[in-house]
Amino acid sequence: MRIGDAWNALSDPRMVPRLFAAMVVLVLLMGMVTTYTYQGDKLYPKVLNPESPLDPYDRGGAPLREPGDVKAQYPENAPKLGWITSYLTPLTTWLAEKTRHLGTTIVSHPGGVIDEILYYTRGLDTVLETSILMMAFVVASWLITKED
Amino acid sequence: MIGLGESLIGLIRLGDIVLYLTPTTLTLFLTAVGFTVVMALSRPETQVELVFGMDGYKKSEMPMGEIKFRRYMAIVCGVATAGAMITGDIFDFALFVTLAGIADVGIVAASKKPQVLDAAYQYGMTLMIAGLPLFGAAALVLGTAGTLSLHELDTIRVSGVVAVLFILGVLGEIGVAPFYAAKARLFRALGAPYIIMIHVSTLLIIVRTVEIIVTLL
Amino acid sequence: MEIGALFQTAIVIGFASAFIAFLGFVLERDDVHKLVLTDLIEVLTLMIVACVGTDLAECLILPALVVGVAEVLAFSELAVAKEKTRLGFEEKTQQSPLNIEVLRTSPNLIAIILILYGAVLTGFTGGAVAGLGMLYYLVCRWEGDITKSFWEGVGAVSGVAWCLWILGFLLFFIVPDLWLLALFLAGGGILVKVTSKMGLIGIEGKRSFRSPGGKT
Repeated sequence: MRIGDAWNALSDPRMVPRLFAAMVVLVLLMGMVTTYTYQGDKLYPKVLNPESPLDPYDRGGAPLREPGDVKAQYPENAPKLGWITSYLTPLTTWLAEKTRHLGTTIVSHPGGVIDEILYYTRGLDTVLETSILMMAFVVASWLITKED
Repeated sequence: MIGLGESLIGLIRLGDIVLYLTPTTLTLFLTAVGFTVVMALSRPETQVELVFGMDGYKKSEMPMGEIKFRRYMAIVCGVATAGAMITGDIFDFALFVTLAGIADVGIVAASKKPQVLDAAYQYGMTLMIAGLPLFGAAALVLGTAGTLSLHELDTIRVSGVVAVLFILGVLGEIGVAPFYAAKARLFRALGAPYIIMIHVSTLLIIVRTVEIIVTLL
Repeated sequence: MEIGALFQTAIVIGFASAFIAFLGFVLERDDVHKLVLTDLIEVLTLMIVACVGTDLAECLILPALVVGVAEVLAFSELAVAKEKTRLGFEEKTQQSPLNIEVLRTSPNLIAIILILYGAVLTGFTGGAVAGLGMLYYLVCRWEGDITKSFWEGVGAVSGVAWCLWILGFLLFFIVPDLWLLALFLAGGGILVKVTSKMGLIGIEGKRSFRSPGGKT
């Protein structure tokens, strides 16, 4: 095939996603034969305590009295590290005392290690994430309302 | 401390995400911010089209709503680009790139012409499937290196496949945007100034990606 | 199996699934089918992120998920707009209303339960649950029509909530002692924001779900 034919094929906008997908397919093939060494547990590691009603998210600490045990990347940048992890809403405390696993469900928000990471140590990620949602929504509502 | 052996001017510490300023990133950041300000203040050009077959011309203007929408998207794209220039975290960078990408789709999609909308839709497809290499690469960096911070990754090597996946992800999210802008013939279309934002953000983000790849390998 | 081998296996399986999905994308020619395939690819993205398997990975999944959802939202709307302009028809499509009794009788109760439960949950999940309640009610029961000012009003509420949340985020670093206030600002702000967005989706859904001006 001559180079002119290649350019002509590329001039259709529909070709670009397919070409891109074909490139990714090749790299994924390479990725399947690569060896990966696991180091993922360096940050926010946890010790499982099956007895605790807050297992597997239990990191110790008492709500508003004692911070939980959290290992972030830069603890010096987060002076109140661990406080959100140990915080439980009154409803969650009640659920954790009465039931075995309900205290770990999404009912425990706000508070808990997930909220600590989402809002505090990696808060900028969450800000960006909702900004992306907002932009997608702005685009969608522009397309919906522009005829009116 | 980081990337290309440069001196550090300042750090912005937001928990685990530490934004950093070196001569390179600061220059790129100021370029993005400056261009966004120019973009926000500039007025869209009005085009004059010749009428075929007679001695006449007509003036075509973009409706005010479309101008406002395009300008808004261009500003968001500029802010996202500026953020991507100074971020010190690979996952955060991926999110900034995605934000810039979706704002680019918005700039292209503001039009009412069918071929422009089709180009925007095809770009949207690319943007969505590029999420896998981009976020997959960021997750693999976390899994194999144990950190997402570029400050730490400077001394850790990750495998080449991960780096290639990351490049592909950035390319799909924003690198092919100028192609669609050109295909939709937006340069000669109305609202010309805002479209240049797509090119500026692509250029700056690709420069920054090179720096990140140097840090990763 | 020890954890390193598990990680390797999971990643290889994830890549293999992604390989199949991308291959399907290369071969597919229909635009709408492509949109469905991209959604499949978003799910596989989540799977690869989940392979890391720590609490941090759990937090990275949420942004990746939201990005996927947001993109599907914007681009499906783009697909509709594109086809409308290409075919040149306005809102004249023949719509067949669904005559399902449950859709007339259940929304009040279900919406109240979901909104209350969502308000208790707060945060993103709470916003999604409460928003689902609102969406369900608006799709099935709401009789009003979309006006531009109404749409912009809801958008403004969500914008104010966004500002509250940014304020909370900054408080964490400027005044760390107020972390509890910042946490509730963040959780409450994101609740209102996500709920209002889902509500607007419900209004849009209503338009295509029901016959114009008719009952369910």
